Amino acid sequence: MIAIRAERGRLWSVLGLLVVLQFALRPRLGIPSVAPDFLMVALLLFAIRSRPGAAAVAGFLVGLAGDAMSPARIGAGALAHSVVGYLAAWGRAVFFPDNLFVNGLVIMLGVWLRNAIQLLASGSGPGSLARELFVWAPLQALTTALTATLVMVLFQRWLDIRIEG
Amino acid sequence: MPPRSDRTLSRRDTALFAACLIASVLMLARPVWGEAVAGVVRRSVLVPFLRIQGWAEASRTSRASFDTLRAQRDSATYAAQFLPALRAENQRLRSLLSLGARLTVPYRAAEVLHQSVPTDGRTMLLSIGSRQGVREFSPVIGPDGLLGVVRTVDRDRSLAMTWAHPDFRASAFALTVGVFGVVRAAVQVTGSEQLLQLRGVAIRDSVPIGTLVVTSGLGGVYPPGIPVGIVAGQAEEETGWERIYVLHPVANPAAASQVLVLLGSTDSSLAKLFTGDSVP
Repeated sequence: MIAIRAERGRLWSVLGLLVVLQFALRPRLGIPSVAPDFLMVALLLFAIRSRPGAAAVAGFLVGLAGDAMSPARIGAGALAHSVVGYLAAWGRAVFFPDNLFVNGLVIMLGVWLRNAIQLLASGSGPGSLARELFVWAPLQALTTALTATLVMVLFQRWLDIRIEG
Repeated sequence: MPPRSDRTLSRRDTALFAACLIASVLMLARPVWGEAVAGVVRRSVLVPFLRIQGWAEASRTSRASFDTLRAQRDSATYAAQFLPALRAENQRLRSLLSLGARLTVPYRAAEVLHQSVPTDGRTMLLSIGSRQGVREFSPVIGPDGLLGVVRTVDRDRSLAMTWAHPDFRASAFALTVGVFGVVRAAVQVTGSEQLLQLRGVAIRDSVPIGTLVVTSGLGGVYPPGIPVGIVAGQAEEETGWERIYVLHPVANPAAASQVLVLLGSTDSSLAKLFTGDSVP
């Protein structure tokens, strides 16, 4: 029981650090649409270690926070993050092995899918949607996945991740 | 307590997911409810995080501009030695050329707190709010022209809707030809640039490519004379009763890090703030 609590405490410490980095470090990283999304890293690291219901609720809360700060269409962010959180947790339970590369790939796909759902739910035009989905979203997904990989390497014991090919 | 069965846990997961989806869809369908919930979140849980982000933005911009400011201070110190003579000479030359005085419009500078979501450029979270005098419908401008309008005001933060937002509209007219229309974000996008449309131009009027389009002042939200875009071409008309022109925007909200929020009356023209006042 004590070991499980310590493990959870370490996971929450990493997630808390990522939330702080989102607001303290991300603004200094240049182009906002390409800079890594630390909140998505935190959400997906939480999701792939949780049950789908808890991941969906976490996604909803992260999305709601995003909607509150950048409300192009309120509810779009909550919807997108809920779906991505749920799918990541569900996919982890059904398909994904627990290793570094797969976790990085899941995070990359998660960011891209989040952007796709949010843009569709926000009512973007086809041209704008194509540009976002095929130019900016892959770039942000890549930087976010690289950041997540770095976090997983640095905190691999805390996050209980095996370093494999 | 006995462990719950997989089926029970699975049902609970599905129920939680469905609840999240329903809540999201409700907020999408009823923007008033969504805005109420988002406002509460913004004014409570997010306050410390936004404060951290405000410090980070201020630190970034101040560090980047430190050298420039030091150089400008040195130049200003040097120039200040000749200030009284220059001011008198400037006044004399302006009166000789029949130029008016520079406009003094009350404004507040604000940092833009960019977010990581893909729709970031459609709205801007600003680092000032009602305590600094910002009101709903205060125009937001950048060094190059119009960026948007304040939509929601909190005590220390405000949210602006930019021209890239689908709901944005501004009455505008094309300089030199004096043609009026309504500016909104273009549905189609060419290349990597988000464009604007000037709609509602009468069939009998035409606007040459390269013409600057500025706010007209009609409607009372935006002062007249703020540059909005430059005519890039004519779009296809569907209705047959109007001309639609495509504009290259002069200011990019997604790249703006600092903006000005206008606080004063919207009656006087701001054209002279954006154009050189020397006679060619």
